[in-house]
Amino acid sequence: MTWIDEVEGATAMERVLAQRPELLARFKAFYRSFWEDGLVSRRVLELCRLRIAAIHDCAQEWGIRDAEVALTQPQMEALRSGDLSNFDPPERAALELAERVPYQHHQLTDEEVVHAEGLLGGPGTVSLLTALAFFDVVCRLRLTLELDEESALLASPPLADGAMV
Amino acid sequence: MSTKPRLAPAIPGSEADFASLMAQAPNSTALFFELYAEFWQNGVVAEEIKEMTRMRNARITDCGY
Repeated sequence: MTWIDEVEGATAMERVLAQRPELLARFKAFYRSFWEDGLVSRRVLELCRLRIAAIHDCAQEWGIRDAEVALTQPQMEALRSGDLSNFDPPERAALELAERVPYQHHQLTDEEVVHAEGLLGGPGTVSLLTALAFFDVVCRLRLTLELDEESALLASPPLADGAMV
Repeated sequence: MSTKPRLAPAIPGSEADFASLMAQAPNSTALFFELYAEFWQNGVVAEEIKEMTRMRNARITDCGY
């Protein structure tokens, strides 16, 4: 149960952030753009979002799934443990960047970024790195606000019809 | 730490900085700046407190930018 007063909203995070409705609206519009722009595949976004949730041990984020991305139980277990060996090269390159963002951002190498750029393109890599930073932000926000865990299957996690959850 | 950008700017030949590099993803970048402006221009937290926490965060994360 969060220690911040909640107002009306569809989800735990929205009920807190809706205290600043303009901020929430802009945050949702920005966050949604990663899925709408199509610079990074939604499967790669989902893999990286879940890996960062696992690194943070953020059950609130881990409980949410993209309804359009099917992951097997072994793939979920691999994301949980950080075993990236069975993902394909573009997925693995993206996940290697995701691995660094929460706590190892200074260990990220030029070679890792160049490798990702070769597989995802320049715009894709910029979009991915921005998304990774905000996947990290959302986990930190959920954990510091002590938001309730919510399991959900969403069209654009953590967005549902434009709503951040 | 390095402050040399690892990726190219959106416009070849232009200086690589935060804005020109982020412009490779123009839609999300424009929306990010709208979000960031909302942080700074509105709300109930004093600008001095926002700036202090921003600078402290930069130090903690060792961000030379």
